[in-house]
Amino acid sequence: MTNEPQNVRIVITDGAIIPDPKERRIITAWSISFVGALGALVYLCASRPEPYWRLLQFLPDGIAVTFKVTVLSILCSIPIGLITGLGRLSRNRLINLVASTYVEVVRGIPLLVQLFYIYYALGRFLKVPDLLAAIIALSVCYGAYMGEVFRAGIDSISKGQTEAARSLGFNRAETMFMVILPQAWRTILPPVGNEFIAMLKDTSLVSIIAVADILRRGREFASESFLYFETYTMVALIYLLITLFLSKGVSIMESRLNYYDRR
Amino acid sequence: MTADSVEPIIRISHAWKFFGELTALNDVSLDVMPGEKVVICGPSGSGKSTLLRSINRLETVDKGTIIVDGQDVNSPDNDINKIRQELGMVFQSFNLFPHKTVLQNLTMAPMRLRKIPRPEAESRALELLKKVGISDKANVFPAMLSGGQQQRVAIARALAMNPKIMLFDEPTSALDPEMIGEVLDVMVTLAREGMTMVCVTHEMGFAREVADRIIFMDHGQVLEENAPQDFFGAPKHPRLQKFLNQIL
Repeated sequence: MTNEPQNVRIVITDGAIIPDPKERRIITAWSISFVGALGALVYLCASRPEPYWRLLQFLPDGIAVTFKVTVLSILCSIPIGLITGLGRLSRNRLINLVASTYVEVVRGIPLLVQLFYIYYALGRFLKVPDLLAAIIALSVCYGAYMGEVFRAGIDSISKGQTEAARSLGFNRAETMFMVILPQAWRTILPPVGNEFIAMLKDTSLVSIIAVADILRRGREFASESFLYFETYTMVALIYLLITLFLSKGVSIMESRLNYYDRR
Repeated sequence: MTADSVEPIIRISHAWKFFGELTALNDVSLDVMPGEKVVICGPSGSGKSTLLRSINRLETVDKGTIIVDGQDVNSPDNDINKIRQELGMVFQSFNLFPHKTVLQNLTMAPMRLRKIPRPEAESRALELLKKVGISDKANVFPAMLSGGQQQRVAIARALAMNPKIMLFDEPTSALDPEMIGEVLDVMVTLAREGMTMVCVTHEMGFAREVADRIIFMDHGQVLEENAPQDFFGAPKHPRLQKFLNQIL
């Protein structure tokens, strides 16, 4: 191709050069990753059952623990997030300050440090079981992130909705719970799904405080067999497959949330 | 009606409102009698919307008092949510609840706030939808309606609370020209039925037809206040003369 001016064709598009999300494609980043990961898993197990097949039987206990920690932590972080988000939007200076300070502090400390703090540092005064410490640390940390998700979701609803509800005679709480939040959850849910995926990956940190999640089980296997390469390949493939499933779930959910906008 | 119905139902006395440097309301006083239709007009930024919104305290005035049906809307002793139930409001941008069907938009407030049982609220809602001419759209979501239809639903939603007064904040300004008529028709019908109405609007034909009084505002002040005939026929204030020349 030459760059002579007469050969330059100006194409007017609707926007940035990204694939149209409505266009159905078979080859996507997701499908490549998924087929690749699944293919690698099957190939490894079939071609070298020892140690791969044995690993695949050894690790699922950890998957259950990982899911347990993730689900319990997300369930705790959602109410924390809602309260924080509402607090960040509150006109009450004190409430606002408390919520904002919480977000500021938690976001400024790495999750691993928070986890050590609750398990080891606070453990000097109050012995917290490892699983509980993991759930507390993840909930407190993700509660702050969720707070921002909720705040942004609530903020995304036009002020006219609040005015319409208040002008009918609804009080603040009724307006929030009957008009604003039922609309905001569509904005809130996809990022909550993404936080769930992020948290699932972050639960690997809890393996350090003796919670027997996927990574912990992998470390146990590797330290006995010295098969580090094989073990962590398997661990990585399992994490990848789980998060791929979940991210697909989030995007399906996202596309189904727009029911009342359809014409 | 009771004997005290000769008292104004809205009494705005010496209202002031500042937005930073800007004086949105500059010592505005206005009485509205029960059943009266008052149209407020003026150039944009004249304070007309602020005045209307201060009646149901969507804006709070910085000085002055606003009494609605005997109650000071800014007094902490009065429950503003109760006062607002008597003040229907229609917005320029409709503001229907998009996650509720048309019928639910109409029944939500009466069921929750007036404790009206669902069957009764629904039959009343259907009646109102018939009145505004969209009874066939009761079970669709607002996004499926045209602007004119949405605004008629918004009027019906406000009426569903059986308010004593209706406030209209430029109800036709966001509409395509061919849809303005259908909304104005509903408002004219409402006026004929004796509803107390305060309308901020640029629709001078509507003002001429239904208004008992037209208020002209500019820079936060009421510059002229007159019956339609004199308002259009013999405008006194030079700003009003200029304004009418521009829009008529």
